Amino acid sequence: MDGKDVVKKEKGNVESTRSIRQEIPLVDIYENDDEILLHAEMPGVKKDNITINIDNGNLTLSGVRSLAKEGAAEWEEFGDVEYQRAFSVPQTIDVDKVQAELKDGILALHLPKSEASKPRMVEIKAG
Amino acid sequence: MIARISDLDRMFDAMGLLRGRLDNVFNEFDRSVTYGPHWSAASNYPQTNLFDKGDHFELAAKIPGMSKEDVEVKIQGNYLEISGTRNVTAPEGYRVHRNELGSASFTRSLTLPAEVASNKVSATLKDGILVLTMPKSEAAKPRQISIK
Repeated sequence: MDGKDVVKKEKGNVESTRSIRQEIPLVDIYENDDEILLHAEMPGVKKDNITINIDNGNLTLSGVRSLAKEGAAEWEEFGDVEYQRAFSVPQTIDVDKVQAELKDGILALHLPKSEASKPRMVEIKAG
Repeated sequence: MIARISDLDRMFDAMGLLRGRLDNVFNEFDRSVTYGPHWSAASNYPQTNLFDKGDHFELAAKIPGMSKEDVEVKIQGNYLEISGTRNVTAPEGYRVHRNELGSASFTRSLTLPAEVASNKVSATLKDGILVLTMPKSEAAKPRQISIK
């Protein structure tokens, strides 16, 4: 078998091990002087199935919805899905104080700004 | 020759992957442009799943961002109506950078495959999914027939 290969074999050409549908969750992003607030829509995702990763200015959100399927389906309009979305966040975020809560299928992520980066009022002294 | 076949296999895998990506392109395309909940643009109703579990039906509806006060369910015989509203307002004192989750209201009516006992229906709302458990009415229940 010295002939030319049909496809070039590449090292690190990893086979995909799952075929779950991927979707991009819709998000709202708000900001005030203290924090950046992110809302992401992930209906049906349990809180244990959400991963939030902040690394070197990259924020990755991922949430997997796996629905229990019993009985005979009359119709099925939505199924299992992996919500995935990445953002770049400023380095001024205080990673240790990031908080997240999940309510009604909406993930709320609070990204507090570090003290040093908050806007400061400079007082002008009378000379 | 075996090596060849596995290579072919891999190539078809790659093609399948590409097809999946292309399928997604259309979904994502429409999303990045409309910036709205994807069900509000074309069809103003939430997606649902209906399962027949023998003596009852189970309906799941995807309604993220709504609390139980925002949703109303009406059942009569085999007719089901779900309506709800979602209000998305920016929290006070925050600037808005991106707003993809929109406010919306919907009404969706469905015809169930059989009549249900409307007084025994229970509804739960968890993680943005409304689940209705609807026991079938006596006449519609499956029955074991004993052979004499």
